[in-house]
Amino acid sequence: MEVNPHYTLISPLIGELKWDETPSDGLLSRQLGWMDFLKKELLEQITEVKLGFTTLSICWKITENQRLFQNQIKRLKVSNRELSSRIWELQVCYDLEFGKDLDSLAMFHRMTIPELIKMHSSQAYRLHFFGFLPGFMYLNGLPEQLHTPRKSIPDRSVEAGSVAIGGAHTGIYPIESPGGWHVIGRCPLVMFDPHSSPPVWAEPGDLIKFEQIDADKMKKLLLLPPTPTSR
Amino acid sequence: MTRDFATATILKTGPGTSIQDLGRRNSSNFGVPVSGAMDQRSLLWVNHLLQNQETDAVIEISQPGFIIEFDSPTQISLAGAQAKVKLNGIEIKNPSQISIRIHDQLEIGAFTVGARLYLGIRHGFQTPKILESRSFFHQVTERSQLSAGEKVTYFSDSRWISSHNAKVIWSTEWFQTNAIAVFPGPDFGLLDRIVGDKLFKDTFGISNLTNRMGIQLSELLENSLPELPTNPVFPGTVQLTSGGKLIILLRDAQVTGGYPRILQLDEESQWIIAQKRTGDRIRFKLISP
Repeated sequence: MEVNPHYTLISPLIGELKWDETPSDGLLSRQLGWMDFLKKELLEQITEVKLGFTTLSICWKITENQRLFQNQIKRLKVSNRELSSRIWELQVCYDLEFGKDLDSLAMFHRMTIPELIKMHSSQAYRLHFFGFLPGFMYLNGLPEQLHTPRKSIPDRSVEAGSVAIGGAHTGIYPIESPGGWHVIGRCPLVMFDPHSSPPVWAEPGDLIKFEQIDADKMKKLLLLPPTPTSR
Repeated sequence: MTRDFATATILKTGPGTSIQDLGRRNSSNFGVPVSGAMDQRSLLWVNHLLQNQETDAVIEISQPGFIIEFDSPTQISLAGAQAKVKLNGIEIKNPSQISIRIHDQLEIGAFTVGARLYLGIRHGFQTPKILESRSFFHQVTERSQLSAGEKVTYFSDSRWISSHNAKVIWSTEWFQTNAIAVFPGPDFGLLDRIVGDKLFKDTFGISNLTNRMGIQLSELLENSLPELPTNPVFPGTVQLTSGGKLIILLRDAQVTGGYPRILQLDEESQWIIAQKRTGDRIRFKLISP
């Protein structure tokens, strides 16, 4: 039987559930189970629930409710949420024109650029949460051979749509931003639109796959960004 | 009550002037910062004096040299930092409640106390609401700051009479303390005793790396904490980097982070620190949640 997570008070109105393990599909399914439970049972008492890799933080309307929850937590029975089987296929152009760090990254990992691209695009990645920038997806599942320390001096500007590797993760910069990850390609999709509701198209638990496209196709898609599709 | 649209024109401003309200409370799951006024005590005060909704938007000003002209009558209120304020060139002693007539010009000069000044207006400024808030944030709102020549919409209101005593005076005493109340952060337990003691014995300076995203303190705190899995952070979270930097996250900070979250400022202390300037010193005071 799984042990319920610890609950830590952060302030009178904020606290977090914490699991002492590494991020995984299994942990995400438990985190989402707790999220569903909180939104179903305690919706009136809560202003916000936020996911991280190993925590679920809760913002409360009044401090008494947080105390009550803290005292009851050991007795609560919460079921896991089965993870979504929705797969988003994102087109990515891995040409050097868009992946300015491909060369150095392939060299670092002692592989050829095609090997690196094949390894990156043959994997399905799990979306855990959005953070860092509006619409930035934290994806889990990068093959260990591609784990790369972040740049010690971040780039002043990384283009919107850049697909990059940092630490044990891969991600897509939704907007132009400074950044310390190694850029290996670009995706032509709009990742964040503040005028849409919701402003992002994927949800935590969804799977993301990258499909390689050539520069000609990329240039067309950049002029008319396609709508993301899932299956 | 008349509710005609009216226009205020920014004639002059330094960098960092923006429209702010209480912020975006329901969008952090999309990676969107909370934003909102850095000093919400002052925001709520001006809205209270103007009998506005708590959620009405104000202008946040953090540099001297600001001039705005109003094209219709209304009532405005200033709070937050203390500054030299002039209406049509004449100094105003108590800017808590100012009646505005057609073509009045309001000028904010040197700040005498504090770092951020709030200009509230009857019914609030009417810029578009995006993701349930008017608070400026680049990538979310069209504008990230107000520049000279730009216009902001408001509702004219010539008939409103304040029910508050006209002599009510904004005091800045509440933020003139160096004590910043903090709760132990979720990763506080990772600190060793020596680092923990130093954190509460020493005073720390506000560096010049200070903006709406956060404040970096001048002193380094040597530590051997690991980087952690990326998890949620909040306005008021204090992060300690592996290089020893102490960073107090504020309203426009990112919603998740991987540095140890060693402290969490209580709400009042977030408003206090928003009024600190580069070079000011603070002391952390541990309280329990």
